Amino acid sequence: MKNEKNSLTRRDFFKAGTILASGVAIAGSAVIPYDGVLFAAEAPGAKGKWYGIGIDINKCIGCGRCANACKQENNVPKDPFYFRSWVEQYTIKNDGSVLVESPNGGIDGFKQSVPDKEIFKSFFVPKMCNHCAKSPCTQVCPVGATFETEEGIVLVDENYCIGCRYCVQACPYGCRYIHPDKGTVDKCTLCFHRLKKGYQPACFEICPTEARIFGDLNDPGSKLNYFLKNHTCMVVKPHLNTGSKLFYNAISPEVR
Amino acid sequence: MPQHIKRLIGVFAIFIVLFLVMRQVLKPSSFGELGHFRAKAIYENTLRPMHYTIADSCTKCHKSIRADKDQGFHKKLKCEVCHGPGLKHSLFANQFKGKELPDSLILYKPGERKDCAICHQINAARIKILFDTINNTMIKQIDVAEHNPPDLKANEPAKCIDCHNPHQP
Repeated sequence: MKNEKNSLTRRDFFKAGTILASGVAIAGSAVIPYDGVLFAAEAPGAKGKWYGIGIDINKCIGCGRCANACKQENNVPKDPFYFRSWVEQYTIKNDGSVLVESPNGGIDGFKQSVPDKEIFKSFFVPKMCNHCAKSPCTQVCPVGATFETEEGIVLVDENYCIGCRYCVQACPYGCRYIHPDKGTVDKCTLCFHRLKKGYQPACFEICPTEARIFGDLNDPGSKLNYFLKNHTCMVVKPHLNTGSKLFYNAISPEVR
Repeated sequence: MPQHIKRLIGVFAIFIVLFLVMRQVLKPSSFGELGHFRAKAIYENTLRPMHYTIADSCTKCHKSIRADKDQGFHKKLKCEVCHGPGLKHSLFANQFKGKELPDSLILYKPGERKDCAICHQINAARIKILFDTINNTMIKQIDVAEHNPPDLKANEPAKCIDCHNPHQP
């Protein structure tokens, strides 16, 4: 009995201990540390452009001109269930229940469906692709047909997409749809064709109240950075850690 | 080395070579240059046609409307907010001076009650903007159905633009 207990010599103990410690160190170096980007206002590299979007809910009057402009500029199907950009009206009633309406994406205007007496507060929320820095939709694509450009814009390669709908499921903001004629996925490109010619995206160009602000997050003097510094902005669904670059001013926790 | 291991190595080598050849043939030319996607797709995305023009291109020709608009509450509004995309019109309408414009170049002329209601229909979510003195914006809110109700006896119901000049409301 005594012999068995002392069978582990000092030399053996140090040997095993060193192997174990070095093993743990090697395995530990392979573990990627948590790199959450809850608020992607700071660009990863300080080179080039890093586009972001700001929306001021206090200024939005729900005219739906952005949704309309998006459809016309990008030839989005006119049916009321294909949208790259749309407006929702949130109505929080006195009893605490939340009503979300978006008749034809807000293109034809809104009609107040709840009488004034029952409304606690009501506001419009324009929605579009968040152009996430860690987009779930690009991560799930099995063929590499959707990707983030260096400027932080999430694009789709129409000629390479197989229409598997996986990314439509993955997007937590519901910003993708399958184009009925092409059979491939379609989404907001931040009017990439306009950007490259030096113009603003159509929805930003058209907003009558300047509720939508578009800019370069890498440029400290840009309109968007000014907007972010002067307002209390938040992204939608921050807990999903998508690195969303669509910042809302005065957003309520009810917005999903 | 045992015979069967040698054979196995041969089979593996054939498969690996076959895979590399197939990959070379099937892989799109620019795939993987910038990441796990076709780098060419970035360029292809820029090729779509534009429809909306830029701010000043309308008022180069329509100078009197600009003069009107600059004095009214709609001075900050871009023409395309109401009239729709006008790039084609701004590029080609010049060629038809004195002649009739083809249908494809004619822009939308809003004038119905529903067109004005898009911004001016009273709504609980818009009230806050009505009283917003900080940003010095005021967007008149009316109930389109009640405001000067259309006379049912007359053949044509009253339009908003019968009383209000949309360029200088």
